[in-house]
Amino acid sequence: MKNTIKVERAIQNITQQELAEKIGVSRQTINAIESNKYVPSTVLAMKMAKLFGKPIEQFFKLEEDD
Amino acid sequence: MKSLLLLPPSYKKIGWLVLIPSLFLGISVRFFDLQWKFLTLGKGKGILDTKINFTDEIALTGIILGLLFLAFAREKQEDEFIYHTRLQSWQWSVLINYGLLLVATWVVHGLEYIDVMMYNMLTVLIIFIIRFHWVLNREKKSEQ
Repeated sequence: MKNTIKVERAIQNITQQELAEKIGVSRQTINAIESNKYVPSTVLAMKMAKLFGKPIEQFFKLEEDD
Repeated sequence: MKSLLLLPPSYKKIGWLVLIPSLFLGISVRFFDLQWKFLTLGKGKGILDTKINFTDEIALTGIILGLLFLAFAREKQEDEFIYHTRLQSWQWSVLINYGLLLVATWVVHGLEYIDVMMYNMLTVLIIFIIRFHWVLNREKKSEQ
């Protein structure tokens, strides 16, 4: 799974810390997701979609081996 | 996020407060044969009434409780990634622990093996604590 959360964050002009606070997780979690070390739960992905105002598929993409 | 079987975050502090003195006590008992006299119970008359000194029991209980508190204290913001890291770290520590035990089984013999088993009681908790916090720190440090 790949994601473009970093880009979405830039569009919203918010830091990792601010995004973490808005969706109620730690900054480590945002960092791990952005660096593709951790795939978040559906709940967390939906919270991001709500915040970014766009469907999940636009910032989470399946890869060949998924 | 709801997470079972965890203690409040303040137990991290309590853990250190219990662990450090117990560790000093444990080292004193193990390497300098320290025994607190008032902890000797029994009169030593016959098989059923043996004299036992409980200094080492107190030390080990403190070390185990301290490590348990440190391992099971919830992070201030315990979310799904942290919980995931927690479970993964347990898996790591059990594997490494038994790996070390297997190596020691073949390398260490005789009475010294009792020492190995003594340390092995604690390594699951120690390896877990190190690995868990190492991962959290790594993610904390690498910014954007």
